Amino acid sequence: MILLPAPIVLPFVFIILALLVKSSKAKSILSIAFSILNLAIAGIILFQVNEVDMIKSQMGSWPAPFGITLIADRFSAFMLFMSALVFIAVTIYSVQSIDKERIKNNYFLFTFGILMGVNGSFLAGDIFNLYVWFEVMLMGSFILISFGGERIQLEGAIKYLILNLISSFFFVAGIGILYGKMGSLNMADLAQKFAFTGSFPSLFEPAMVLFVVGFAIKGALFPFFFWLPASYHTPPPAVSALFAGLLTKVGIYSLIRIYTLFLFHFDYFWNPIILWLGILSMVIGVITATSQFDFRKVLSFHIISQVGYVVIGLAFYTISGLAAAIFFLGHNMISKTNAFMVAGWVHRERKTLNMKVLGEMFNKNTLWGVLFFISAFSLAGLPPLSGFAGKYLIIKAGIESDHIFVALIALFVGLFTLFSMTKIWIEVFWKNNPTENAAENNTKALPHGLMLTGSIILALSIIAMGIWAAPIVEFCEKAAADLLNTQKYINFVLK
Amino acid sequence: MELILAIFIGLLYASGVYLILRRSIVKVILGVFVLSNATNLIIFLSGGIKRSGAGFIPAGAEKVDPATISDPLPQALILTAIVIGLGIAAYILALKYRYFEITETHDLDQLSKTDQK
Repeated sequence: MILLPAPIVLPFVFIILALLVKSSKAKSILSIAFSILNLAIAGIILFQVNEVDMIKSQMGSWPAPFGITLIADRFSAFMLFMSALVFIAVTIYSVQSIDKERIKNNYFLFTFGILMGVNGSFLAGDIFNLYVWFEVMLMGSFILISFGGERIQLEGAIKYLILNLISSFFFVAGIGILYGKMGSLNMADLAQKFAFTGSFPSLFEPAMVLFVVGFAIKGALFPFFFWLPASYHTPPPAVSALFAGLLTKVGIYSLIRIYTLFLFHFDYFWNPIILWLGILSMVIGVITATSQFDFRKVLSFHIISQVGYVVIGLAFYTISGLAAAIFFLGHNMISKTNAFMVAGWVHRERKTLNMKVLGEMFNKNTLWGVLFFISAFSLAGLPPLSGFAGKYLIIKAGIESDHIFVALIALFVGLFTLFSMTKIWIEVFWKNNPTENAAENNTKALPHGLMLTGSIILALSIIAMGIWAAPIVEFCEKAAADLLNTQKYINFVLK
Repeated sequence: MELILAIFIGLLYASGVYLILRRSIVKVILGVFVLSNATNLIIFLSGGIKRSGAGFIPAGAEKVDPATISDPLPQALILTAIVIGLGIAAYILALKYRYFEITETHDLDQLSKTDQK
């Protein structure tokens, strides 16, 4: 289909145009227009995929195992759409939240670079191509995280950079070894060869171990997550909102993709590992989050915990489990980004995010308080918000697939999430301002209309995803069924 | 030849890991470069090593014995990986330079502002 490369080409066109445009106002308008266009294209692809199950496009018309395949099934179309939604909100938010200096220095060029990488990773049907899109995404994020060059930012950037590069090396080394053994890079072709050989002679298929470690670092799973809380609180808030919404989710997307294509052949080995990675991420993320006193650090540790939910959904490996994982990924992208956006507003008003010196933000602006309430309690899993449906599905899938113990842990983690969200709520929004600086409270609020617009878009999506959960879950179940039916994917690409 | 190359890659990985574990940021960055090159060599090795078998099909030939030519794909992949590595190397050095300008230190232990307390 002709439209399929559009989510990759569109950001690229923007990047070229952004270099030609001089004024920062024109840059902002152009970026909002392009992100709306991106959402429209993602919507069309989602609609198309829902009609015909899968669409593919062979680059340069080379037939499947040789040329580069772009393929969108329901899962990738869903991820494309959700990331377009997050991106549009962050772009509108950034126009006001990011300082003029950074916008003038082509801030939007790099956010669109990330968008290009993210969209490319969702569409890639070729494992080396996936690596290249990862690098495109990483390059944009490296620059954004150090953009502006404040001291703390550079520190965070060095940690982020080194650990992410190491994960890339794992991934590429895995690709090299896999190519040497199988002689192919097309994921469908590889999956077919795996299915033919049935099982590898050795249990520890090294390429697969390298892939899982690489994706676990990118997705910030339990033993590999240390780069995330060390860096996500350093850049400007709009940047952390974008990262929180998109980057780790791509790692998890790839993990789900390779699990459903290759790893399930070695289920007896990988399933417990993935399950325990998920459980430990969930528990350790949430427990460390409760001990933090920085607004964004609490949220950063929560990313780890939430990613754990998705991974246990994958490890159940049933239709309902995978559907829950997909739904939860989408819910997490919008809720988490929105929570970071509220943190950005607090930072703009008070120039700090240390919860010990914050307070009374609810009096300052009720609407932002409500927006935080929506996203925080969606993360904690209260009805009627999207998080309730997500957690309910995960726990239900766990009970159905006889993982009662895991389901119980997930319930407990939900309780801790609620606890730490309440902690932010009390410390930042409710308690009396400890600085007792009356003048500070009475200063006129800075303009925040566009920031508010971005955040309201996401808050409305959270509510909509909670209220209209049934049709979305139905869609996710179809997506999960397609993921479990590996042969369908193989036939579609190779036919 | 394969064995020698494999041992060499192992040595590169060992020295890369050693460098990454040092305290000086410059050495860590050098370690990243070494690891990146070791990884490129893995891809090269995965295509199989053949002496003087250019990855072309001679003009006019209908069929070619795959044993006589080397696999051109890994070479193309390495080219991509090298270019990406070059871009990252330029960026990481610029980052280090800027960091040194601000803090005047090479010591990784000074990167403690973002740590968990």
